[in-house]
Amino acid sequence: MTEPSGGSTDRQKRPVVVPALALVALTAVGITALLGGLDERPDPAPPQLKPGQVLDQGQFDTKFVESKITLQRAESEFAKDKRFLDVIFTVTNKTDETLNVGGLRSDKSRGFGFGGTLLKMTPQIKSEFGGSVFVDSKGVQSSQLHPGIPATVVARYELTGTAQPPKQVSYDVGAYEELTSGLNDTTQWFLQTEQDAFGGENTDKVVAKISVPVQPQGA
Amino acid sequence: MTTTQQRSVAPRGARSRRQAARRGRGAGMLHVIVGLVLAAGAVGIQSLDLSGDDHGMPLTYTGGKGDNVDADRFSVRVENVSTAKTLKDGDETIATDQIFLVVEAAATVPAKPVHLGKPFLLTADGKKFAASDKAGNEKVLSYPWIQPGWWTKGRFVFEVPASVLPEAQAVFTLPVAALYSEPLPPEAQIDLGIDEAGAKQLSSAPAEVYDMDKKK
Repeated sequence: MTEPSGGSTDRQKRPVVVPALALVALTAVGITALLGGLDERPDPAPPQLKPGQVLDQGQFDTKFVESKITLQRAESEFAKDKRFLDVIFTVTNKTDETLNVGGLRSDKSRGFGFGGTLLKMTPQIKSEFGGSVFVDSKGVQSSQLHPGIPATVVARYELTGTAQPPKQVSYDVGAYEELTSGLNDTTQWFLQTEQDAFGGENTDKVVAKISVPVQPQGA
Repeated sequence: MTTTQQRSVAPRGARSRRQAARRGRGAGMLHVIVGLVLAAGAVGIQSLDLSGDDHGMPLTYTGGKGDNVDADRFSVRVENVSTAKTLKDGDETIATDQIFLVVEAAATVPAKPVHLGKPFLLTADGKKFAASDKAGNEKVLSYPWIQPGWWTKGRFVFEVPASVLPEAQAVFTLPVAALYSEPLPPEAQIDLGIDEAGAKQLSSAPAEVYDMDKKK
């Protein structure tokens, strides 16, 4: 039987269109790959907080209050006066149980508790023993953050010798999140992390940046 | 004969078949219902399953103020509950923005000497306040060895807001081992016997000073 002329043109069109499309797609993918592939849209930059603002850190609600120079008079004639740079926070424990205020990060330790959320300080203040962090109430130091009670937390850095304090200090601040282990179904708090797209190392996620001006001594 | 027999048999057969069909339908319904009940039961029981966190909970022995609460490996008795504005530790006076709740207690063990861990205060709304670290480590009941044969007396100090006092309970534990965590550690949960009126009295009239060196 002779075919109608219309049918033959229909059948000829298809084998051309499909490979052509495939070729175009392949070329597009190839060019993209050659140019370095598709990149993930960068996360929006963490918000820049000002003193007085409150940040939700999962376990804690944290208000950044101020930074000042504290002079500690020598207790005996053999001791020396010490100067400290104090950064003051108001931290409210949002969980149901008492938490430890923790320790600050240093070259040797990743820190823990609230102190562990202060991921990076600029400029870094170096001293022999690193900084310390504690709860201060009526001049008594403690390491406990009781549930639901706003506490004054001091991050203290010693200024050695004649070191001049910076005009302002900035922190990269992280946050905790509660994760459930798939292994035994228990929940635990972990610092939020982000993973590199190509399976690189996990890095701690910076949820906010904060700059606090340092009040000059005696002000 | 045969035809009549067949005729007489045929209706009986039809009836029994109909009965069987009815029974079959009834039994089928029953099976579906039983199946649904079983499935629902199985799903329902899943909701009773303990989470991993619940599996890790200690074995709790409960009691009231003044009772000897036996938690298997140790016994605790709460003897007195008071409040104070400040603690006196040697020459040092320790202040607080909240209130110090002092729980005077005694403990003994049946056989093996232990140290008690730092207790926590379990409030009516389920919050856990750890014993205050302002009271130091040496003048509280977690410092001495608890020995068999006699009751060792001491105190624990909690730093709490006055609002959590009503129906608060103290929970005494053994210290947590650093590396190996025991599956079902014992704990003694003791009702401090603070009612609304008691809480009002404790919070409105705290002692000015509680002396941590006080002998009991």
